[in-house]
Amino acid sequence: MKKHEGLNCDDCVEHLYTYLDGELTGETESDVRVHIEGCGDCFGHFEFERTFLRFLEARAKAQCAPEPLRRRIFKEVLLDNGSEAE
Amino acid sequence: MTITVDEQRRAFEQEALPHLDTLYRVALRLTSDPSRAEDLVQDAMLKALRSWEQYQPGTNLRAWLLTILRNTFINDYRREKARGPTVDLADAETFRLFDEVGDRDPEGRFFDQIVDDEVLRAIDQLPEEFRETLVLSDVEGLPYQEISTITKVPVGTVKSRLFRARRALQSKLYDYAVEMGYIKKNPE
Repeated sequence: MKKHEGLNCDDCVEHLYTYLDGELTGETESDVRVHIEGCGDCFGHFEFERTFLRFLEARAKAQCAPEPLRRRIFKEVLLDNGSEAE
Repeated sequence: MTITVDEQRRAFEQEALPHLDTLYRVALRLTSDPSRAEDLVQDAMLKALRSWEQYQPGTNLRAWLLTILRNTFINDYRREKARGPTVDLADAETFRLFDEVGDRDPEGRFFDQIVDDEVLRAIDQLPEEFRETLVLSDVEGLPYQEISTITKVPVGTVKSRLFRARRALQSKLYDYAVEMGYIKKNPE
């Protein structure tokens, strides 16, 4: 027997980011999932926000540590630090 | 059971160096300056190696390294008023990108036209605590609990900072997309 009859759209959207971030658990997570599966409006809204978060990650994660920095870490941290400690 | 300097160095190289990209990206967003970001990462790595015996194997190394990076930034690199204007988060709080464009562009296709530099510029205009939270979560993919440990605030604060930072970013990027003609302003 369920304690309550799921969520309405406002309640559902309140959990939007925690749900998309994978931070919801237990009954709340399944309530949100069930609601989205049955509600076209919320489904569209959640998918839009998911696209936004993916876009953000893709754009901001393109940079890597530059090669000269890598070499500096090797030379000045890994090699020189040892000799200093001795 | 003492470990030699060589063993320590090898362990550090194998375990800590794979996090270099993450450390650099976070440093870059904290300092907004590539050469200061490199210095910051190097200083943090040096500190990490020197206190390597304090790291408990099997615990979260990424969080440990990021905490060292953040402390180093706060102590030695943070400059007051060194950056440009920040976004007013209060204004952006009520903005929801989906409300503006959801009808016209439900799949967010206009995002494709927004380039890396513009996104990074928008992130850099967030106030520091929001910027740092957003980068740790949305760029590096850290869970709330880990961000809470690194930034020393409760999980609830992490959540609300993230919420506000995302709203502010959406507002900023929407204005930019309208200005560039990627999408028309909602007539209303």
